[in-house]
This record gives sequence, C-alpha cells and structure tokens, in this order.
Amino acid sequence: MKLNKRYTRSVRANLPFYIAASLLTMVTLLMFYLFYIAGTGINRFGDEFFSEGRLEDATFTTYAEITDGGILSLERKYDVRLEKERFAGVDDGQRRVRVFCPTRRIDLYRIQTGHDFSADNEILISAGYAEENDVRPGDQLTISGHTYTIAGTFLRPDYLYMVENLTDDYKNVTDFLLAYMTPDEFQRQFGGGSVNYKVIYGKDTDQAAFRRQVNEDYFMSGYLAADSNKRVTFVHEQADMFILSAWFILVIFPLLTVALVCILLGRRIRAEQKLIGTLSAMGYSKGRLMRHYSLFALIPGIAGGLLTAAAALLLAEPFGSLGLADYEPMKPAFTLPLWVAVSGVVIPSAIYYVSAMLRVRRLLREDTVRLLAGQVGSDGRSRRVLVRSKATVRRKFAVRQLVASPGRSFVVFLGIFLGAVIVAFSFSFVDSVRAVGDQAHGEFGSFEYEYVLNSLRTGRPWNGEAVLALPYEDGNGRRFTVMGLDSGTRLWNLTTTDGERADIDNGFYISTLCEAIFDLHKGDSFTFRSITTLREHTVKIDGVIRNGYHSYLLTSREKAAAVMGLDGANYNAVLSAAPLDYRSDEVTEIISDRTYETQMENMLTAMGGLIYAFMIIGMIVCIASLYATINTILSENGHNISMLKVLGYENRRINRMVLSSNHLLLLPGIALGTLAAYGIMAWYCAEFVEVESIMIPATLCPKSIVLTAVITASSYFISLLLLRRKVDRADMIAALKDERE
Amino acid sequence: MENIIEIKGAKKQYGSGEAAVFALDGVDFSLAEEKICVILGPSGSGKSTLLNMIGGLDSLDAGEITVDGVPITGLGKKALTAYRKRKIGFVFQFYNLIPDLTVEENVQVVAEIAEKPLDTDEILRALDIEKYRYRFPRELSGGQQQRVAIARAMVKNPRLLLCDELTGALDSRSSRSVLRFIEKINREYGTTTLIITHNEAIAGMADTVLHIKDGKIASVEDHDRRLSADEIEL
Repeated sequence: MKLNKRYTRSVRANLPFYIAASLLTMVTLLMFYLFYIAGTGINRFGDEFFSEGRLEDATFTTYAEITDGGILSLERKYDVRLEKERFAGVDDGQRRVRVFCPTRRIDLYRIQTGHDFSADNEILISAGYAEENDVRPGDQLTISGHTYTIAGTFLRPDYLYMVENLTDDYKNVTDFLLAYMTPDEFQRQFGGGSVNYKVIYGKDTDQAAFRRQVNEDYFMSGYLAADSNKRVTFVHEQADMFILSAWFILVIFPLLTVALVCILLGRRIRAEQKLIGTLSAMGYSKGRLMRHYSLFALIPGIAGGLLTAAAALLLAEPFGSLGLADYEPMKPAFTLPLWVAVSGVVIPSAIYYVSAMLRVRRLLREDTVRLLAGQVGSDGRSRRVLVRSKATVRRKFAVRQLVASPGRSFVVFLGIFLGAVIVAFSFSFVDSVRAVGDQAHGEFGSFEYEYVLNSLRTGRPWNGEAVLALPYEDGNGRRFTVMGLDSGTRLWNLTTTDGERADIDNGFYISTLCEAIFDLHKGDSFTFRSITTLREHTVKIDGVIRNGYHSYLLTSREKAAAVMGLDGANYNAVLSAAPLDYRSDEVTEIISDRTYETQMENMLTAMGGLIYAFMIIGMIVCIASLYATINTILSENGHNISMLKVLGYENRRINRMVLSSNHLLLLPGIALGTLAAYGIMAWYCAEFVEVESIMIPATLCPKSIVLTAVITASSYFISLLLLRRKVDRADMIAALKDERE
Repeated sequence: MENIIEIKGAKKQYGSGEAAVFALDGVDFSLAEEKICVILGPSGSGKSTLLNMIGGLDSLDAGEITVDGVPITGLGKKALTAYRKRKIGFVFQFYNLIPDLTVEENVQVVAEIAEKPLDTDEILRALDIEKYRYRFPRELSGGQQQRVAIARAMVKNPRLLLCDELTGALDSRSSRSVLRFIEKINREYGTTTLIITHNEAIAGMADTVLHIKDGKIASVEDHDRRLSADEIEL
C-alpha cells in the first residue's frame, strides 16, 4: 500500500515526539518494573532461605531448663521439632557480640564467604557486620580476651534483618555482630551460656496447648512467634511493601503517562485532519484509515515497552540491590518475569492503538468538507474571553490559548503535576524519616535514658523513676507492652490526645502507635493475653497518649502488676534524665530518644540511593512529558509562529507569546503535585505502621517544598530550552502556503 | 523620485543536480517610491520567490537586493527580522490571520511591535472593518478577512507593501473591494506596493508591470496612466 510509505517519513518528521513519548512510557513503567522485581526477588530468596535454613516458628525462654528427655517428650506429644540453643552476649566496649553454639535442626546458618570453622580457634561472623566493617575471612577478632581467626561469614534465617534489640527500629551492623564457635570452645568460654528454645510446629499442633504445657512444666519467661519477630517478618514485609509500592506506582504514574500520551496522539491525529479528509474523499475506507493511524500510535508503546524491558534487565540487579540496603547482604536473583515484560509492551501499545483508532473514527464522523478545511476541533467557543479587555494582545493570546484548549492545558498541567509528585514524594520521604528522630524528643517525655533491667526488682530505684513493663499479645499474636508507672512521673509523657494528663491510677491508656496497630479507640474494650501463660485480660481504654514509637498499654505500677500477677512494688526498668551507673550485666538494653534519631539517619544513609534514583526519575518524567506536550503545542501553533516571524516578531518574543500561557500552570501544577505527594506519603506512613512498628509522621518541610518547586520549574524550563530551536527553525514560507480559516 | 527597490543579478536555485530548478536566474529590476508594481507570470515562474527575497523571507544564492537603501543580501536572521518589522507589510492569498485574535487584535499585534504605528482605529476605519473589530477571523467573509490582512500589514506604516495573490481566493466583487483599498492606501499613505498575481486584469492598476518566465524577467511595461480598481475587468 502506497500509504504505508508515509510511516518512515512521518516517524522521521515527528521523531522528537516519539522519542519523548517512548521515554515517558519507559521511565514510568520502569518504576513499576524495578519495585516489582525487587519485591519478588526478595520474597523468593526469603522463601528459599527460610525453607533451607529451617526457620523457627517461635523462640522462647524458660526459668527451668528443659532436659533432653523433656524435649523428646514434648516433640512426641505435640508433633513439634524443638531444639535448645546456647548463646552468650559479650560487650568489649567497642562492639557487642552475640555468640552462638551452632544448632543442628532449626535456624541453620549458611556460609556466605570463606568456609565453616574446623578448629576451636576459628569463628564465623555475621556477613552484614563483616561487610560494613570490611572484615574478611582470615582476619582476627578478639572476643572476651581470646583471639580467633575468622573462617567465614554467614547468614541465618532468623537474623536477615539485624536488629540488635527487638525494640530497635533499624538494623545495627556497625558495632553489633553474631558469631559462631565450636561447641567445645563455647563451653570453655561461656559454660552453659544463656538458653533459648527454637520450635517448629507440626501441621496439626495445638500451639496453645504446647505453650501451656511448657509454662506449667518449665515456667516460660518469654515467647516470640516468628510472625511477630521483626528480624524475620521484615524480610517479607519489606518485600511486600516494594510490591505494593509497584502496584501503587502502576496505578498512578504509568496510567497518567499513558493518558497523557493518548491525548497527545489524539491531537497529532487531529492535526492531520486535512489529509484524513482528503484520503476519505479519495475513497479510503474508514477501517483502513483507522488501521493506518493506529499503527503510528503503536510506536511509543512498543518502543517504550521494549526499552523498559531492556532497561529493567540492565538495572534489575543494581536497583534490586538498593532495595537490599536494610537486610543482611543476601544475594537474591532479580529477574524480570516474562509476563511482566510482555505486558509492559502489549498493554501501553494496545491502549495507544485503540485510542488512535477511536480518534480517527471520531474525526471521520465529521463532515469531510470541515475536515478538508481543517475546522474540526476549532469551534472557537472559548476564545471570546477578554475580547473587549484593554490587556495587551500577548496576554489575551496567552489566556485564550489556555482556556480555548483545555485538553492541551491539561496535559501541560499533568506533566508538571507528575514531576512535582515524584520529586516532592522523595523529599517527603526524607523529611518524614528525619521527623521520626525530631518528634521523639517531644513524644517520649523528658527522660534521656531508659534502662531495661534483666531482673525484677522491688521498691524504688536509687535514682530515676521505676517502670514495670512486660510484652503481651492480642489474639492474633501481635505484640505490645503493658507498662506500669508511678502517676507522679515527670519523665514520661502522659499528655493524652485530648490535651489532658492521663489519670493512670484510675485507668488504662494506649499509645497512638498501639491505637493504629490494634485499631483501638478511647472507650473500647481491649482483650489481650500473656505471652507466657496465655491468660487473658480485658480492660477498657480510657484515653490515648501521643506516642508513635512505643506500642503500649499504660497504667499505674499497681494495676500493671495486678495484670502481670506481680507485686505492686516490682519494677524492671528505670527512666532517667541523666546516665546511671548500672553494670552492663544488670541491663538488657539502654534506650535513648537519640537512638531513634541515629537509627533513622542510618536508614536514610542506606536508602539514599533509592531515594535519589526516585528523584531523578521524577525529573525525567517532568522533562519528557513537558517536552512531548510543548512540542505538540509548538507543532499546533506552527502557522501562528511562522506568521509572527513574517510580521517581524523576534524568536524570544514569539516564545513568550506562544508558551507563556503555560507558565500559569506551573504554580497550580507544583502546588497540587506537592499536596498529592504529601497525601501519598501520609497514606504510605499509615499503611506501614505495622511493618515499621513506628508511626512515621508524614512531613514535608518548607525547604523541601521550595526545592520541589525549583526542581520542577527547572525541569519545565529545561524542556522549553530544548524546544527553543523549534521556533527558530519554523519554515515561514511553507507554513504560509497553507490555507487557514 | 528615488528607487525603493534595486535588484542586481538575483539568482536562486532549489534542489541540485538534475533536479535543480532555477527559481530566479539573473533578475535585474528597480522600482521607484510610491509606485504600484504588478508582477505577472505562470505558476513556477519565480514570482513568489522574488517576493520572498524582497521581503527577507528567503536568501539569494547570488546577486544583490537593496530596499529603501538597505542592502538585505547577507543580512543575518535577527537583522532580517528587524528589516521586516520596520519596512515590510505582507498580504497573502489565504490571509494568514491569527485565529485566536479578533480583528482589532490582529492589527494590534503588529502595532505593538512597530516603531511608529498608525492609529489602529484610523486604519480599521480606512479599510471599513471598524464594525467587525470584535469579531474573530472565522466570523468574516474572505474579502473581509483580506481587508483585515491589509490593515495588519499597513498599521506599521511600511515602506513597502508586498501582496502575494491577494485576490486569488476571492470572488470578483470581493476582489474589486480589496483592490480599491490597495489603491486608497497607495494614494493616501504613499506606500510602494508590489502585487503578484495570475490575474492580468489587475495589471491595469499598476505603474509598472513585470512579466516573469522561467526565473527571468521577460518584459517590463510602464504605464503612463493607471486604471482605477473600478475600471479594470475582473
């Protein structure tokens, strides 16, 4: 068909548009691909590693040690796999080491680098610490005054997310590590050490009965299910977060981009109405013309999809690795599933194809004479604005450009909006994470240190304020802390969300984090149970205290002791405004409000690459979408531009006249984009309260708003700059030969 | 009276090799101030090319063009833009008005950049389109649109008015009306006018008639007496 000879010529003539539209399709699809690849890759690795390493279902501690016979008896009676794990904590001032005696049936380690130990003077250390501190197999490490040779590094399934304490909000691989040594060496150094029990339940195990039996026979002192253990759950939760983000991105950005390209394609087809009218008058069938123009529309879809697949294959590994920043250095295979790659080509192409087809069909419904005269879509109804105004012609022209063509104005707005959303979201992420540290000071109260003691004490501490706190869980195994304080506390924040001081002597109060996780409100009844005895308690919630960092149920020490079955004078933690002289063997953990700040800064450092990649993508989206849009505007105004040049207008003045109207869209585009980004961040924070065990306050600082405006406006002006030559190259003679209305 | 246009050895070639076409092939021509000149010739003879060269829309391969004492050959893009702004008024066959602007605004768009523009109201009155000032081009007939185009060209009070087939898209009644205004402008403002046309009848209105064929001047004809627009047979 002779008509097909137009393809090459037309594509060449509209190359900048096709490149910009393909790039736009690619960049936004790529955002989806990369998050999807990262999430599925991590999930797949987690599943395989958990299965291979025989991940525990729960870990628990008892006051009385379970004998080998006792283990065998429990295994037979409840169809469980049960194993004792010995460990010891060593703090040499520079670093803290958790030394393990290897297990053989549950939570098995995998050598990551080097080899397994073969002698008593060899140890294995956790891979994250080794990588962070550039420690390699063959190096020496001193533990408790003994020097060992590092044989290798390892990963273990219950420590893929290396939080030192379960109350921590971010990993620590800087000065905390795990180590394995031979059983003989462990015995020599630490004797029996401390003991944990690891359990894997059978398919039909009555878990509650098993826990009750252990508690009756051995007095359970702690119980942590794997699905409440953030060292374990974080693996799939973060991966699921990536996948959810991918779908979220898919719904917002590629759909908006595809809509934008469809609008631009439609306008380009409308600009060809004279040719369509001519071909129709010559006898070309509607179907043939629809197919002809639809094939042009396939170009950005196919090119964008193929470019995305190629870019995803190239970037899957480095980008996926950015998503691994929070984990131990595991090595998942990041692959692009074929169905995703094919969908990336087929779906946008199909949408563009159908959109072009419908556009041609709509044009062909018009009177051929109107098509030949180029009058379709130029009814000029909206042009009458400012007709009798004394404003300058330039201003009137600009305003009419804006209102007479709402579709065109919308796509410019969309380009600015999309760019602003992505850039502002990146800034908002950084601001929100930073706000975690900043807000901690206000929400915690005025204490600087919380000493978690490793034994129960009675009376009053010699300095500081006493706290009685133990972990509890709801019926779904979700954990929180029951806390008892003296009502006169001056260090703990007792201000409720109503602005009053909580009356803890006469009621129970939850934190805002607890409120969000358990969906509880003031006046609700809350039923929970002991993680050791499984005994249930029900209390009425008398209020909510603003604290997005701790998930707690707060009351007086006496009431808390009553729930726990302890004496009202007991305490196991101390709050203090100044450092106290507790010995390290008296304290399990020291929490400072600065801890959160440090952890959040570490998180930002680790995720910096991901955030900046996101920001750059935002700029590319902004530039590409505006380039495609403004390129279309200039093409549509080709005749006016040529005429203005003939009349003696300088290029600079023409650019101002034709394009300045779009400047009016800059401010609303940035403002609404920034607002939308804040809304997305707020949703994101609310959605992931449980994953992060922290209420990240959605924040966008004034500085970030200014930077978003500057970056988006710069992207906008860069796209104008790239198109400046188009006015310069406008052919005055050819354009003026064309008949106009 | 001094010559406002001086053309010496003007050459312009489009394409190359066997496909080469000489649009202008050594044109020498001069025109005195305040005259009306009609250029006649068949399609492809080079008359539009000559008009584009004089108007500074295109450049010569060889030769020289001087307009109102300004040698425009070899001027850069910026200088040519300034030249068009100061000295040249264009009227085209298909009017080329800006569709998003009213009649008044289409005239004002030029007045806003002109150094010494005429009064917009005066020019609208002169062309009898004052009553359409708030209408958009698509709300006017062809003849009315062409009068707006003339008003737009004239508002800057150009030294030279270049008209490319200005009646080509009009019926005879509208054509005569438009030509009356061209005549009036030449008379009242003393604007030198160059008209390109296929219509030999218009040649009667000219002081000088130039016949162009194959890029060369075939003949030059000077009229002692011009016919009025009402006298010619369209």
